[in-house]
Amino acid sequence: MTYTPRALIAEITHRCPLHCVYCSNPQEMQRRSEELSTADWISVFEQAADLGILQLHLTGGEPLSRSDLTELVRAGRGARLYLNLITSGVGLDESRLDELMAAGLDHIQLSFQDSEEGPANEFAGTRSHALKLRLAQIIRKRRIAFTVNMVVHRRNLDRLNELIEFAEQTGAQRLEIANVQYYGWALRNREALLPTRQQLDASIEIVEAARERLKGKMRIDFVFPDYYAKYPKPCMNGWGHQQLLIDPAGRALPCHAAMVIPGLEFPNTREHDLRWIWEDSPAFNRFRDESWMPEPCRSCDRRARDFGGCRCQAFLLAGDAAATDPVCTLSSKHAVIEDILQRVNGDAARQWVYRMDPS
Amino acid sequence: MSVMERNRVPRLAPGCRLNAAGGPEDLLLIPEGALRLRGPARVIVELCNGERTLADIVEELQRHYPSAQPARIETEAVALLARLRERGVLEYT
Repeated sequence: MTYTPRALIAEITHRCPLHCVYCSNPQEMQRRSEELSTADWISVFEQAADLGILQLHLTGGEPLSRSDLTELVRAGRGARLYLNLITSGVGLDESRLDELMAAGLDHIQLSFQDSEEGPANEFAGTRSHALKLRLAQIIRKRRIAFTVNMVVHRRNLDRLNELIEFAEQTGAQRLEIANVQYYGWALRNREALLPTRQQLDASIEIVEAARERLKGKMRIDFVFPDYYAKYPKPCMNGWGHQQLLIDPAGRALPCHAAMVIPGLEFPNTREHDLRWIWEDSPAFNRFRDESWMPEPCRSCDRRARDFGGCRCQAFLLAGDAAATDPVCTLSSKHAVIEDILQRVNGDAARQWVYRMDPS
Repeated sequence: MSVMERNRVPRLAPGCRLNAAGGPEDLLLIPEGALRLRGPARVIVELCNGERTLADIVEELQRHYPSAQPARIETEAVALLARLRERGVLEYT
């Protein structure tokens, strides 16, 4: 079986003016001095297009923190990639947006932490909400695809109706409502952020009703909190199946959290070409087929649908990256999840910890 | 098609565009990924340039596929554009 990568997630920097309590970036971040140069990135984009990659997601950290962003967009578009910018908006204004659009930016995904300024700034650990509101006005006036991303968790899920109405007002064509996923910094704040079952059930109904009401106006994607799922998510649609991530220092990973897995050597684009990395590197082949699977995955009917779930989560929660994702109710380690859910559904929420920016 | 429908001018929504022609597959690139275009779908989408009316597009297609039934071409083109419109990748100027 051969796999064609479709999307390149380029984490062009870990620097970020926000300090979100649910940041999914690794707990150890790359410093500015380790970042790939403009020419390094351009070479990566060209190799990516040759491999069959269609979409380039420029993310971070905050991608606008790089002063060469326009050049990177132009080069990516020149390599025939579809250009997505995933941003907090901090560092953007009208003239920079016009520059990015002229360079070929196709789509902008702007994050909001809440509909209200107080909580939004509290969750972000930064006063950024008012700026984001102004940016939404600027973006909607232009002909560019516009998605609003709203991260939801225990502290704002009860106001989901308001959050959706707020997203409508921004003029976005698409709303991504993303429950926090527990990797990186977010894992440290898990018990402050995981919603209760009651909150989750109510939110599912709200999303369904909103989808019906907003048909043809705004599409809604909903990222489920997988701790509450019966079966695991098909993480990255399979390890090394469709997506490739490059971190700020040039390391290639099958997903953004994979650095936590011990014993894997992630190849660097400074030393290897992307084709070798994708096709031949041991790291990308480690969990690619089904040969690594233990029971109950190995004989499970769902194994080609969910690929045994997330390898990083298996390591983080079961201590073994080659175990069934403990989220799965068939996993022998599922009690780990049940314990957490019991605590979250029984106790008051805990306090969270803010993260600091890498220098 | 009603007269009103015939005069509508479709174009791709912002952030939606065709991949380069002549590759191994015909794709419509969109913010969430790509839609695979089968059969004559690429030709139909290419005609939606924000200048042609629906009637112009159907006429062009009928010229392009002279051996197909004209009524069938119209039905299929209109149905495809309606699906794309519902999916949010096509709009009317």
